[in-house]
Amino acid sequence: LLVLVPSPLPRLRAVLQRCWGRLERGLWPGIFGGQSPPWGPALAVQGPALVPQGINDAGESSAEAPSLLESVVWMAAPKHRRTIEVNRCRRRNPTKLIEIKRNIDVCPECGNLKQKHVLCGYCYAKVKEETRLIRMEIYKKEGRPFNAPAVETVVLYEGEKPTEKDEGKRIIERARRRPSWFVQN
Amino acid sequence: MRLSLAAAISHGRVYRRFGLSPRSRLDLLRNLVTALVRHERIETPWARADEMRGYAERLIDYAKRGDKDERAMRMADFWLTEKDLIHKLFKVLAPRFQPHPGSYTRLLQIPNRDGLDRAKMAVIELKGNPLPPLVRPRRDSDKTLLNQLLKGYRQDAQRAAAP
Repeated sequence: LLVLVPSPLPRLRAVLQRCWGRLERGLWPGIFGGQSPPWGPALAVQGPALVPQGINDAGESSAEAPSLLESVVWMAAPKHRRTIEVNRCRRRNPTKLIEIKRNIDVCPECGNLKQKHVLCGYCYAKVKEETRLIRMEIYKKEGRPFNAPAVETVVLYEGEKPTEKDEGKRIIERARRRPSWFVQN
Repeated sequence: MRLSLAAAISHGRVYRRFGLSPRSRLDLLRNLVTALVRHERIETPWARADEMRGYAERLIDYAKRGDKDERAMRMADFWLTEKDLIHKLFKVLAPRFQPHPGSYTRLLQIPNRDGLDRAKMAVIELKGNPLPPLVRPRRDSDKTLLNQLLKGYRQDAQRAAAP
């Protein structure tokens, strides 16, 4: 029984050989679902020698060695040493240097440096500390957590009385003089 | 027309990705909104503050509709995880912002965080809060050209009006 196959590559040839071997030995029983294989008598054509074992072993062993070399990928590698002048040009190119910042100004309140679009760090730290103390007073007044009142809040310092605008608001007392930067509204 | 999108192109996407999943992102923003309504001024990474700002302002718009509105109450119930803040939202913040048409929050950048990540931080606060002000409004000095011209114009007007 001869089977016509197209001219195969070495790997395809090996795969086909294995399949054919399994079919012949009966190691693939389920392939046709119990019926007889569909091939009948076929035309014998002079194709490349596929079935004879002796020629194939020789062909495979000779095909193995070139395929190892063919599967190697060629990588790029530098041919010459880059001189220090060329290296300096590349390393000191303006795009690689750190950009100088021109958006640094002096804070008018405290005189520290600040970026133009950012709040002054010193002034913010001052305000943050004061809000932390105010929040501690609020927590003491509220007593327990999750006790936020449904009224506005106003912060009064030493010696200040609530005005008529502050009616109905919860008053938080702070035991110090009013800071100059916290203007009372 | 391209019906599929190549990976790693995000043209036109407005929402940032936070947390572990979209649900986690919403939970994160919800915690931030709750904190803002409670403390009226919070300090977080800038991206989170920016993302949260829109949600907070829309929540206040819903609160302005009033206590009785069913949708407003459902929104407040979802967005504020601490339920005593729902009272604060409807009774304090909604009347406070009734005259304003929009923009109830102020977002300002702070120096980068001190930790290893040096994250871009921002402070977001509700306008009209009782805490000390972050930025003092500075008036231009009297010696600028525009101010001198305006001063001259004012004096001329007074001299014309006086006799």
